[in-house]
Amino acid sequence: MKNRLKVARAEKDMSQAQLAEHIGVSRQTINSIETGRYIPSTVLALKLARTFGKPVEEFFSLEETD
Amino acid sequence: MKNDWLFPHRCRQIGWFVFIPSALLGLFTLHGNSLLKNLGFQPVTLGDFMGSFADEIAALGAILGLLFIAFAREKSEDEMIRQLRLESLQWSVYINYFLLALAIIFMYDDAFFTVMIYNMFTVLLVFIIRFRWSLKRVDHTEEVIA
Repeated sequence: MKNRLKVARAEKDMSQAQLAEHIGVSRQTINSIETGRYIPSTVLALKLARTFGKPVEEFFSLEETD
Repeated sequence: MKNDWLFPHRCRQIGWFVFIPSALLGLFTLHGNSLLKNLGFQPVTLGDFMGSFADEIAALGAILGLLFIAFAREKSEDEMIRQLRLESLQWSVYINYFLLALAIIFMYDDAFFTVMIYNMFTVLLVFIIRFRWSLKRVDHTEEVIA
């Protein structure tokens, strides 16, 4: 699964720590999602999307191998 | 939030305080006197109470301490940490039984009995090492954009 969370976060000028605090997870979790090492749950993906006020598909998309 | 069956965060420190003396006591009851004898010292005789219960106290203390260390909640326990926890637990069960299989093949009699004593604690020990390592790895690859 691809994600463009890092770009979206940069556009909003938010740090990983700020985003993490906003949605109630650790900063490491945000980092792991951005680097593709961790696939968030549906709840967490929806919370992330809600933070940026956009649908979840704007941030996460399937790859050929998924 | 649904119950995650973890101990409060501060239990990790309590766990170390219980585990270390218990482990030292356990190591002493297992190997202390034979080690002293090999080094040319007189063996130590424990009092009536400790003579009878030292191994029980050591084993229970080690189990309690390790459980606290292993299953104390992280400061920010979230879904990724829960996943790392679960992965580490799976790893530790695999490694534990791999080591046990080796011991079954290569060790006999008293030596095998000693391995079985250590084996009571290796699941939790390997879990703790693997879990702390995976948390460190996540920390070290961290990238913060201010």
